[in-house]
Parts: sequence; structure tokens; C-alpha cells
Amino acid sequence: MKEPDPIVFVIDDEALIRDGIGSLIRSIGLRAVTFASPSEFMQSKRTDAPGCLVLDVRMPGQSGLDLQRQLSDAGVHIPIIFITGHADIPMTVRAMKDGAMEFLTKPVRSQDLLDAVQKAIEHDRTLRKQRAELAEIRTRFDLLTPRETDVLTLVVAGLLNKQIADQLGTSELTVKTHRAHVMEKTKADSLAQLVRMAERLKTSLQK
Amino acid sequence: MLTGRPIPQNLQIAWRYTAPFLFVLAALFLSFALRASFGNPTWFFFPAAVVSATWIGGRVPGWIAVIFSTLVVQYFFVPPIGSLGVNRHDLPYFALFVVCEIFASWLISWRREAEDAIRRARDELEIRVAERTAELKHANDALLSQIEEQRRTEEALQTTRTALARVVRITTIGELTASIAHEVNQPLAAVVANSDACVAWLGLKDPNLSEARAAAERAIQGATRASEVIARIRSLINKAPPERTPTELNAVIQETCALAAGQAARNDVAILTDLAADLPGVVADRIQLQQVLLNLAINGLEAMSGITGRARELTIRSRVQEDSQVCVSVEDTGIGVNTETMARLFEPFFTTRAQGIGMGLPISRSIIEAHGGRLWAESTLGQGTVFRFTLQRVEAGKA
Repeated sequence: MKEPDPIVFVIDDEALIRDGIGSLIRSIGLRAVTFASPSEFMQSKRTDAPGCLVLDVRMPGQSGLDLQRQLSDAGVHIPIIFITGHADIPMTVRAMKDGAMEFLTKPVRSQDLLDAVQKAIEHDRTLRKQRAELAEIRTRFDLLTPRETDVLTLVVAGLLNKQIADQLGTSELTVKTHRAHVMEKTKADSLAQLVRMAERLKTSLQK
Repeated sequence: MLTGRPIPQNLQIAWRYTAPFLFVLAALFLSFALRASFGNPTWFFFPAAVVSATWIGGRVPGWIAVIFSTLVVQYFFVPPIGSLGVNRHDLPYFALFVVCEIFASWLISWRREAEDAIRRARDELEIRVAERTAELKHANDALLSQIEEQRRTEEALQTTRTALARVVRITTIGELTASIAHEVNQPLAAVVANSDACVAWLGLKDPNLSEARAAAERAIQGATRASEVIARIRSLINKAPPERTPTELNAVIQETCALAAGQAARNDVAILTDLAADLPGVVADRIQLQQVLLNLAINGLEAMSGITGRARELTIRSRVQEDSQVCVSVEDTGIGVNTETMARLFEPFFTTRAQGIGMGLPISRSIIEAHGGRLWAESTLGQGTVFRFTLQRVEAGKA
């Protein structure tokens, strides 16, 4: 499956600035889409592609920081590069804590911005890949029956078939059958891979 | 005032007292000279001598002339001649002569004294008139110098007022520093971004000229805008003598809105304008009017800083009134002003803001009043405050 081209979203209330930044980004061969306000961005239909957001902090109405919160609450994961006229420390801290990739001050040095954009897109690619893998694992694990899930839990905990059979009050042969189904459904090549997948799922659920 | 050469006092007195003797002796001489021609006693020259002496010398020389002439007549003309005795036969005639002389002398001295009194009164009057004239001239000079001093004081006051207005203006601008910095930085950021983009498009292996051109044009727009912002600020800060030129009030209002826009955005306030389309011009100092409007706008923005739960709006209106005046109002939806504060609103150095110096409103009012208008405020607690000012419109055909 070929990955769609990355897109950079630029949100700034200042037309000259967003057009300039958009133009700069297009000049290195990336797609850029510009918006005059966060609400305009939220209302737009976005294609599923790796990308990042170049966001002005200070805008009339909804600020960039507000949009960051809103996106995070809505479960939209997209790396954000903030640009601002003057950055005070509390503002920067809040933005970075909420997962901003980069905080640049206006006027922005083009190389800094392009580097940040590249880095953010790369980051998004990785995240997207991880999210995709995790989603895949989850679909596979969802196929398991409750009994198979029980067996899986004990297998991952490091118990032998015999011990599992004892705990579940069943025969070792039955456990072996369940275990084979688990390996088949999760497409695990080895016990080690099964354990890794189970761990990843567990950490993602804990998050 | 006395005319002619003044005669020395001593000489005058000597003449007054010598005159009776001279006149009587002259009468004596004439009487002797004419006795041969008439045969009758020719005493009638003596009353003339008495009258003349009294006329020249006054009362006392008159009496001297009377006594002297009586003695002379008695001695030379009344029998027995050559002595001071008088024959019984001649006594009534001689007595009548003496009475006539006394009467003539008294009449003349009385007349003379009356004339003297009038002359003295006239002289005195003239002296007093001269004195009063001098006093008046003095008072007039003093008044003139006071007027001159007043004029200089007023000039100095005007200069001070202009300087103070400028200081307050700069202070007002100072309050806007953060938003002005933003106003300038934004277009500069646009210039940098677009210039970078332009260079990037040109630096491609296959340069994209149309993209580069578009970016360069945006850079130019940004640079132009930055310089416009700076020009606006500079015109407000510049030290310019006040001037009166036909001014379009609506344009001044719009410029002010542009200056305050950054601050309004920071304070999350919407600035609305409702301007009369057919607003006549006013004759005014544009910069000073802008200062008044900017000050009222900033006050309004500040008044709304703590407002939540209702629209934060600053509305600037312009209207033509029936009395041919132009009225501008600046209305906020802020906390409003209580009665005590309202009473002191236009006092110098009265302020409710931590960073204010309390000169904005008094200066604004003095500017409007110097333009022949009025500036006042109305407020409803919890709903907001409206400042209004009026200005005389330019008469039709004079604009």
C-alpha cells in the first residue's frame, strides 16, 4: 500500500504570512493547505495522510493553544509547530507540555521552519505507523474467544501448558489446542513475538 | 494753565503795592495839568486811579489808593488848600467823593476777587485734570503691560498644553506598545517568510518564476504595511504645532480603530463603527482629535477587561445633530462608572488604572473645548459607559 503524500496545514490570521509560509513549504515539494482561523481548519475535510500543523499562537477568537487542546481532546494526533510574535515562558511551557513539536518566533528563519516541518512529518509517519500496527494487533486480538484470551494471559505470564491446564481446570491437550488458535489468530510466528504484541497492547491500553 | 511768560512772585508783589502810588500821582499830575482848562476842581481822575490800582493790586492796594488819593485831594484841592483840613462848606462834597472812591474800590476788588476765584478754580481744575490724565495714562500703561503679560502667559500656557498633550499622547502610545510591536512584527514576519519563499522558488533546479513573483509581491505588501504602521505612530508622536484644517471625522475614526485594533484583539474586544455617511467636515487638528479618540477607545477597552458573560464591544458612532454640530460617541459594554468616580472623571491625575497617569481625559476635554466643542460621559453601572463629544461642523460651502 502506497502512503499518501504528506500535507502541511498552515493556520494564521495574517494572509500575507500564511501565504508566505505556504509558498515556502510548497517550494520544497510538500503540499501546503492554508486556513485563516482554527475554526476554518476544524470545519475542513482532511484526507488521511501524514502531516503537521503550523499554527500561529495569537489569533483573534480562538488562539493556537486553544486549538491544540481541542485537537487533543478530540483524539486528533497531529504534530504542531507553533509560531508566535513573542513567546513568554508560561505559553511555551504549556504548549510543549501539551505535545508541541517546536516553538518558533516570528519572523521565522526558513531553515528552522522547514527542518521542523520535516521532522514533524517524520514523527507523524512513525506515530501513524505505530498506531496502524497497534490497530492491527488489536483487531487480531479481538478475534480471540474468552477462553483463548484466558490462555493467552497465562501463556504471556510465562506458565507452562500443564500449569495453565491446572489453573483453568482443563486438560493439557485442550490448552494446546487453544494455544494453537491464539498463535494462528494473532499471526504470531513465535512465542516471543506473541509476548511483544501482548505487551504493546497492554501499554497502549494503560495509556 | 497759565499762558505767557510767568512773572516772578516778588516783582509781582512789588508792582501791586507800587501801582496805587503811581496811579494816584498820575491822577494828581493830570488834575494839575487840566485845572487851567476847566476851572472846576478836576478830581475825577482819582476814582479812575483807585479803580485801576484796585483792579491791578486787589483789595489792599485798593485801600492804599483810596487813603492816598483822599489825602492828596484833601491837601491839594480841598480848601484850605495846602493843608489837610476841610472847610465846613466843602465837607459834604468831599465826603461824597470819599464814599464814591470807597464804593468803586470795593466794587472792583469784589469783582476782581470773584474773577480770581474763578481763575483759581479753573487753574485748580486744570491741574486736577492734568493729574487725573497722568493717573489714567499710568493706569493705562499698567493695563497694557498686564495685557501683554497675560498674552505671554497664555502663549506659555498654550505651549505647555501642547507639550503636555504630546506627552500624554506618547504615554497613550506607550500603553499600546505591545500591540504596536505586534502590528509591526506581523508584516515584517510576512516579508521574511515571503522573501525566503521567493529565494527558494528561484533556487530550484527549474526556477518557478510565477511563484517567486507572487512571493516577492507579498513581501512588498508586507513591507508597505509595516511602514504604514510606523508612519501612523510617528505622526502621533511627532512634535507638531496645533493646526486647524478641514478634517474628515470619519477618516480620523477609522485611523484610530486601526491603531487600537491590536489592543482590542489582545483584550478580546470587537470594535464596531457606525458612521454617518453624510457627515460634514470639521475644522480641527487631526492629530489631537486622533489622540482624543484613541484615549477614549483605550479607556473603553480597559473598562471591559474584566467582563465575562456578555459581548465585549466598543462602538464608535458619528452623527449630525440638529443644532448643526457633529457628535461622536465611544461606547463600551464595560463595568460602568459609579457616581463618585463620575464626578472626578475629568480631574487631572485622577485614575482608576494602575498604569494610568490620569491625564488622558482632562487633556481630551481641553482639546475638545479648544476646538469649541464639549466632551462628557454617561454611564450605567454594570452596563457600560459612553463618552460623547461635539464639534462645530464646517458651514456649507466653506468646506
